Amino acid sequence: MILFWILSVVLVASAVFTVSQKSPVYSVVGLLINFLALAAFYFTLDAEFLAVIQIVIYSGAILMLFVFVIALLSSGIGPFREGPNRMPRAFVPAVAVVALFLGLVVYGIARGPLVPTPHQPTSTIGAAGNANVFGSIADFGVALFTTYLLPFEVTAFILMVAVIGVVLIAGDAVPQPTLGHHAAPKRKRRRESIVKSR
Amino acid sequence: MTGSALVSLLTLWMLPFFSAIVIWALGPQLRRAAGVLGSAAVLLSFVLACALFGVATAPGGLHVTPLIGWAPGFTFGLLLDPLSLVWVLIITGVGGLIHLYSIGYMAADKAVARFFAYLNFFVFAMLTLVLSDNLVGLLVGWGLVGVASYFLIGFWFYKPSAVAAALKAFVINVFGDVGLMYAIFVLYGATGSIAYADVFAKAASLPSGVILTACIALFIAAAAKSAQVPLQTWLPDAMEGPTPVSALIHAATMVTAGVYLIARFAPLWNASPQAQELVGTIGAVTALLAAILGTAQWDIKRILAYSTMSQIGYMIMGVGVGAYEAGVLHFFTHAFFKAQLFLGAGLVIHALHEEQDIRKMGGLRRRTPFAFVAMAIGTLAIIGVPGFSGFYSKDAVIYGTLEHGHPLLYAAAVVTAGITAYYMFRMLFVAFGGHYRGEVPEARLGMAQREPSEPVHAREGHVPDWVMQIPVGVLIVGSIGAGYLAIGGAQSPWWRFLSSLYGGAQATAPAPISELLSSLIVLAIVIAGVAVAYYRYGTRSATASAVERLRGEALRMPAVLTNAFYFDAAIELLFVRPARRLGALFAGFVDPAVIDAGVRDVVWLTGAAGYLFRALQTGLVRGYALTIVASAACFVAWFVLTGAAR
Amino acid sequence: MTGFDASPYAALSAVMFFIGVGGVILRRNPLIMLMSIELMFNAANLALVAFSRAWVNNAGHVFVFLVVTVAAAEAAIALAIVVALFRRSTNVDVDEVARLRG
Repeated sequence: MILFWILSVVLVASAVFTVSQKSPVYSVVGLLINFLALAAFYFTLDAEFLAVIQIVIYSGAILMLFVFVIALLSSGIGPFREGPNRMPRAFVPAVAVVALFLGLVVYGIARGPLVPTPHQPTSTIGAAGNANVFGSIADFGVALFTTYLLPFEVTAFILMVAVIGVVLIAGDAVPQPTLGHHAAPKRKRRRESIVKSR
Repeated sequence: MTGSALVSLLTLWMLPFFSAIVIWALGPQLRRAAGVLGSAAVLLSFVLACALFGVATAPGGLHVTPLIGWAPGFTFGLLLDPLSLVWVLIITGVGGLIHLYSIGYMAADKAVARFFAYLNFFVFAMLTLVLSDNLVGLLVGWGLVGVASYFLIGFWFYKPSAVAAALKAFVINVFGDVGLMYAIFVLYGATGSIAYADVFAKAASLPSGVILTACIALFIAAAAKSAQVPLQTWLPDAMEGPTPVSALIHAATMVTAGVYLIARFAPLWNASPQAQELVGTIGAVTALLAAILGTAQWDIKRILAYSTMSQIGYMIMGVGVGAYEAGVLHFFTHAFFKAQLFLGAGLVIHALHEEQDIRKMGGLRRRTPFAFVAMAIGTLAIIGVPGFSGFYSKDAVIYGTLEHGHPLLYAAAVVTAGITAYYMFRMLFVAFGGHYRGEVPEARLGMAQREPSEPVHAREGHVPDWVMQIPVGVLIVGSIGAGYLAIGGAQSPWWRFLSSLYGGAQATAPAPISELLSSLIVLAIVIAGVAVAYYRYGTRSATASAVERLRGEALRMPAVLTNAFYFDAAIELLFVRPARRLGALFAGFVDPAVIDAGVRDVVWLTGAAGYLFRALQTGLVRGYALTIVASAACFVAWFVLTGAAR
Repeated sequence: MTGFDASPYAALSAVMFFIGVGGVILRRNPLIMLMSIELMFNAANLALVAFSRAWVNNAGHVFVFLVVTVAAAEAAIALAIVVALFRRSTNVDVDEVARLRG
C-alpha cells in the first residue's frame, strides 16, 4: 500500500510536470519518469510482460522518437516559440469542464469498491512459464496468439500503414537541393502545396 | 400439373422478356441478329404454347399459384385456361410472324435493335396481362402494354406527329388504367380478394350495384384500351408507328385486351344485365361510327385503323351481349386477317417508299401482285364472304346479338357489315385498280400540299422478299382457315374448346329468324356494299376518270367526317382545356406561392442555421478537443448520475 | 489474493487521464499536446491492467498490448505531420494551423 502511494505521487507529479513545461525536452523527461512509474505499477499488478513492454517500447522507442523530432524541428530555429493565443478565454471553461468531468468519474468510482462479484479465485503466484498462472508471459502469449490472433494481425497491418504514411507525409518533404533535373522542381512544388500551413 | 408444364409456362412467359433485355443491352453489337433473336424468342414461346395445349384445355387449366407473393394475401400466379390460351397463341404466333416480317420491314432502320427490344417487351407485357391469375397482375400487364405501345408509336421520335400520337395514346390508356384500378378497389373491397377464382366465386352473391359499378369501371378500361367510343380517338393517330407495330399492337393483340377483359370477367357481366346492355350498345355504336369514318379516309393505314376499331366494336358487342364464344372467335379470326391486311399495306408502303395515301396509288395489282393478293384475301375475310374466316366469326357475333335479344344491335351490326364491305372495296379499287397515279401532282388529287419530305430512312440493307412474304403467306392460310373451327355452331370444335368457361351461361331466347336467313341477309347487304364501291370506283369509266373523281370526292368530303365526328374537338374542349387552365393556375399561383415558398423558407432556415453554427467552426484544434471532452462529460454525467454504470 | 479492489487504480488513472486532457486543451505546442495524448493512453492502460488484475482475466493485458501498438503508430504519424507542418514555420503552434475554419 505504501508502494502504491509513493508510485501514485510520482505518477501524478510527473504527469503535471510533463504538461506544464515550456520546453518539450523537459516534458519528455517528465513523461519518461511517468512511464517508468507506470511500469512499476504493472509489476505490482502481476503484468510483468507489459511492464517490460512499457519500458522497451514507450520509454525506449516512442519517447526517443519525440526527442528526435524535437531535435529536428529546433535545429537552426532556436527555441520553440508560440504565436498569439487565439483561444485566450478558453482557460477557465477548459479547467472547469475537465475538473467537472474528473469529479464525475471519481464520484462514480468512489460510490463503491470495484470488486468483482462473484470472485473467481485463481492463482496469481507461480512460475512465469506456467500458462495457468495469471499474468505470466505464457498466459499472455497463449491469449495473444489464440483468442486474440486476429486483432494481433491487424495491429501488424496498422503499423505497416503507419510506416507508409510517415514516409509519405514527412519523408519526401525535406527540401532537397535541386540536382538540375528538370522534373524535380515541379514535384517539389506539388509536395509543398500539401504541407504548407500558412 | 406437371413440373415440365410449369417450366414450359414460365419459359414461354419470360423468354420474350429476357430476349428484350439481351437485345436492349447488346443492340449495337447485334444489328441484324437482333431481329432473328427477337423472332426466335417469340416463336419459341409459340411452340411452347402449342405444347401446353393439352394441359390448358384440361379441366381447370394450368394454374400456377402462388408463383410470387408480393404482400400477405396478395400472390401472383399464372393461369393458362382456354381463354388465355387463345390470346397466348395469337400473341406469340401472329406476333412471331410479325417479328419475322419486321426483319425485312425495319432492315434499313438504324435503331432496329431498339425496335425489337420494344416489340419483345410488348409481347412479354401482353403475356403478363393474359396469363395473370389475379386482378393486380392484370393491371400490371395492362399498364405495361400501354407503355410498350407508347414506345412503339413514338418509335420514330424525330417525327413530331409520332410523338404527339404516342402521348395521346398513352394518356387515354392511362385513363383506362385508372378505371381498371378503380374496378380492382371495388372488387377487392367487396370480396376481399384479388384472385379471379375468389372474385368469380362470390360474384353471384354481390349486390347488383357493386357489380354494376365494377363492370362500368372495367368497361372504361376496356374502352380505352380497345378504342371504343368515346375513348377511340387515339387509335387512328397511333398509325404513326411503324406498320408492323400497327399490325401487332393496334390490330391483332393489344387493342383486343378489352375483349379479353370482358370475356375474362364474364361471371360479372352475366350477373349484370344493365352492364351488358351498355357494353353491347357502345360496341355497336363504335362499330357503326368507325365504319362510317372508314369511308372517308385516304390514308391506307387509317382506313385499316378505322376498320380495326369497327371490328373491335363487333367483338365488344359480342362479348357484351353474352355471346362470348362468338366475340372471342371474332378476335381470333380478326387477328389473322387484320394482321395480314396491315402487313400487306406495309408491303405496299415499302414498295412505294413510304407513300400511304391511296390517291397516290392506283394500279398496284400489277406493281405489287403479292400485296394485292394478300389485301384482297384479307378484304374478303373482313367483309365476311363465305369460305373465309370472317364470315363465320362475324355472322356468329351478329346472330348472337339476336339470340341474346338485342334486335337494335342486330340492325346496327348488319348495316355496319354493309358499310365495311363498301369502304374495304373502295380501298381495294382505288389503290389496286385503275392506273398508277404516283406521278400526278397532289393538287390535282385534292390533297393538301405536302412538304417535299425527305426519305425517312435510306433503303440500303436489302433483305430478300421472302422474309416479308412468308409471314403474310402464313397469315393468308390463317385468315381463310381460322373460321372453319367454328363450323357447326354449338357443336363445333371452337364452342367445345371454350365450353369449360361459358358452357353453362347459355340463356338464349329463341331468335325470330333462323341463322341461315340471318346469314343471307348479311350477305345481301355485303354484296350491296361491294356493288356500291364497284359502281363508284371500280367500273371502267370510273377508273378512266379516277383523278377527277377522287379530287371531287376529297373536296366535297363532309367536315363532320374529316373531323371524325368532332370527338377530338370535344375532348379538347371538355378535358384538355380545363386541364390546361388548372395547370396554369397551379403554375401561376400554387407553385410559386405555396411550394416554392416552402422551399425558400427551408433554404432560409438552413442558411440561418449555418450562419449560427459557423461560429463553432473555428479551425482551432484545441477548441474541437474541448467540445469533444465536454460532450463526453455529458455522457458520463448521464451514466454516473442515473446509476446506469452499475 | 481475494477481494482485490481496483478503485484506487481507477481513480489514479482518471486523474492522470484528465491531466492529459488539460494538456491537450490548454497547450499550444503540438509536441506537448502529443505527449499529453500519450499520457491519456497510458492512463487508460493503467485502468485496463488494474481491472484485468481484479477480474483475473488477461483480456485487458492483450488490450493494453494493442493500445501500445496503436499508440506507437499514432505517435509516428502525428510526429511526421508535425515535422511536415512546422518545418518552415517560425512558430510551433497548433493555433496557426486553422485551415479547417469554415
